[in-house]
Amino acid sequence: MTTETRAATSAQPSRLLSALRTQEGVLFLVLVVIVIVLSLLSDRFLTVNNLLNQTRLFTETALLALPMTLIIISGGIDLSVGSMLAWSAVMLGFSWQLLGLPLPLAVVVCLLTGAIGGAINGALIAYVRVPPLIATLATLAIYRGFSFGISQARSARGFPEEFAFWGQGQVGPFPTQFLILVVLIVAMHLLLARTGFGRWVYAIGNNELAARYSGIPVERVKFTLYTLSGLMAGLAAFIFTSRVTTTRADAATGLELDVIAAVVLGGTSIFGGSGSIIGTMLGLVIITLLRNGLLLTGVKGDATFMVIGLVLIAAVLINNLVRRR
Amino acid sequence: MAPPIIELREISKSFPGVQALDRVSFEVREGEVHALLGENGAGKSTLIKILTGAHQPDSGTILLRGQPITIPDTRHGLKLGIAAIYQELSLYPDLSVAENIFMGHQPSNRFGVVSWRQMQQRARAILHELDADDLDVSRPVRGLSVGNQQRVEIAKALSHDARILIMDEPTAALTQHDVDRLFEIVRRLRARGVAIIYITHRLEEVFLLADRVTVLRDGRVVGETMHVSQTNQAELVRMMVGRTLDTFFPKDAAEPGEVVLEARNLSYGRTTRNVSFVLRRGEIVGLAGLVGAGRSELAQVLFGITPAESGEIRVEGKPVRIRNPREAMALGIAYVPEDRKLQGLLLRMNVRENTTLAVLRQLLRYGFVDDAAEMRLTQEYVDRLQIRTPSQMQQVANLSGGNQQKVVLAKWLAAKPKVLILDEPTRGIDVGAKAEIHRLMNTLAQQGMAILMISSELPEVLGMSDRVLVMRQGTIVAEFDRAHATQEAVIAAAMGADALHTTPAASTTLT
Repeated sequence: MTTETRAATSAQPSRLLSALRTQEGVLFLVLVVIVIVLSLLSDRFLTVNNLLNQTRLFTETALLALPMTLIIISGGIDLSVGSMLAWSAVMLGFSWQLLGLPLPLAVVVCLLTGAIGGAINGALIAYVRVPPLIATLATLAIYRGFSFGISQARSARGFPEEFAFWGQGQVGPFPTQFLILVVLIVAMHLLLARTGFGRWVYAIGNNELAARYSGIPVERVKFTLYTLSGLMAGLAAFIFTSRVTTTRADAATGLELDVIAAVVLGGTSIFGGSGSIIGTMLGLVIITLLRNGLLLTGVKGDATFMVIGLVLIAAVLINNLVRRR
Repeated sequence: MAPPIIELREISKSFPGVQALDRVSFEVREGEVHALLGENGAGKSTLIKILTGAHQPDSGTILLRGQPITIPDTRHGLKLGIAAIYQELSLYPDLSVAENIFMGHQPSNRFGVVSWRQMQQRARAILHELDADDLDVSRPVRGLSVGNQQRVEIAKALSHDARILIMDEPTAALTQHDVDRLFEIVRRLRARGVAIIYITHRLEEVFLLADRVTVLRDGRVVGETMHVSQTNQAELVRMMVGRTLDTFFPKDAAEPGEVVLEARNLSYGRTTRNVSFVLRRGEIVGLAGLVGAGRSELAQVLFGITPAESGEIRVEGKPVRIRNPREAMALGIAYVPEDRKLQGLLLRMNVRENTTLAVLRQLLRYGFVDDAAEMRLTQEYVDRLQIRTPSQMQQVANLSGGNQQKVVLAKWLAAKPKVLILDEPTRGIDVGAKAEIHRLMNTLAQQGMAILMISSELPEVLGMSDRVLVMRQGTIVAEFDRAHATQEAVIAAAMGADALHTTPAASTTLT
């Protein structure tokens, strides 16, 4: 065989192989394996109904994971997303039930609350230069405090029926929030992968000093990222409230850990500089399906947590192994 | 005359691409202060590292009290009584004075428990010998003056019972009062028979303090070790620089145009003090000075990284404010920083992303990066600077130093600056890439760019510059036109050897 033909025959599989060698490729394989195993264990798992239903549950986490991906790529972190969600949700209920605002206006208040919470994080981090971990650990507590203080531990209920459309309704066969999520996934992917802003996010995570020396408005980018994170928390709060038809101050407690786990499982470097929206979404789908599938097969809740933890570690190990080649 | 306590015979040491030491012989006697002189890169640091055990010589022998020895590491060196005090002090700021002095060999009882009382007593005794009784051994080092920290360093060396003490530019950061106290300590140690190797850039100190002096240049001993009474400052300067200019610095004569950048009394902190100069179209101005003279700091003021606290900058005659790099860029100023890995490159990103980083805004269409335009622009600079990379998608971490430097240059040339500030543009890159960068600078100047080049390589400064500015202690102390810029004159100005009869400074008046 001449070298030329050998090169020609090896071209196809090597392209496939190099696609699989990316973090996304590895995750995709892991996902396929999980789906096969779970569908063998439970006949209720691999059904259109079950899968579409899952998207309702993971939309809120996914909405938070989108900006979290950008933030972690930029070398930061936002621990306050769960608290911002709760605070925004409480503000929705409060302004509608107690202040008597029309519901659409209350939703605007909800979104604004999230954005303001995020902007405060952003200002602390970008301009006051508080390390992101500390700044958002502090606001995690503060925003949760706001939630309890404003709601006085009362939950708002009795939302009109049409309000349920966003969290329980359907458009064709799809849950409403799933369609919103798809649009936002596409938008965030484009923002990160295709725009100048996205390039700056990678540059800052890669070498903040060099980015600054290259005239990149580092502070403005960071401020925008955390504000965006807050805004998405507001949106998630709105959909969450519509889904569960009540606003509680203890909503989404600990959700930030799920979000960060999904981002990191998705291959985003916790040290910043690399990662992708596609990876994050794969990570999130894996965690969600595992949780659901294990539940359906009758595994107890505690064991589910352990399995997810093991998968997280396994995915990172496999990824390291594959990349070293 | 006392026999040498330590002697180096025909020591050679090379690093990839550099012969750092070439058959250097050197000796120090007990009770002697031996000054070691040389420019940046002459081989002083390598010599020290071989003496302390941090480096191993390629060939040659080290004799301690006449016995050949090897010093496998610095710990071993300390055991043999060889200690060094570096310009950058290496203390633990949050530990106490006593803990710092006995770091690594704390007095302890037979159970391995540190004996604090003994440690403090011995620390006090050592400081007493240094006439530094005023230092509280239990207070943390943080907050001590630089002079006091240095005394702690010396005490640390003595705690190892050092008989050979190497001091690397100990006065660089000291106030005059502390310098006087340091000299007192050095003289005391000498009287006790300690052999002291004293490295300095301040020639007057040689005559104040040293018994003998050795000059290094390009890794070799120049002439031979002399008694200080046999020489003078002018001769020492000549010995340090007497090098022929390399021929590959091809600066063509340029016809400088109008003034592009003008600085008037710029100041920032203690590092930039009252700096005034002008930069004209089409000229390369070299900024010379010793390490720590404030050259990079001046560049960072001009580029808005540390905006000037007072003074004025004018660009093409108009007064401007530069508060951050973006404003500097908008005015047509570009800065290729000193440390390309730390300040210049996104190492894990590719050649294309690095090249277009500073001009990305111009490549956006509705906020989206125009891929085709980005690829064209990158290719233009890859070709023009002959960046050797397998593709634009190559991670810059995988490129050679020279090609990495070209990527940083490409990033800034893409911004089409009027003023290009180059900070050590050829440091650590191979000869071929160096020549290419010099050629490029030449072309850019011909095309009308004004270039301010910071370089610690004197031949590069003299070969490339139309004018040379010399900085010392944060301010410009001399200016030479090409004809008057000699190695002796520049180095004398940089070291502040005012007693020398050099070409008078400021042959061009500042307006």
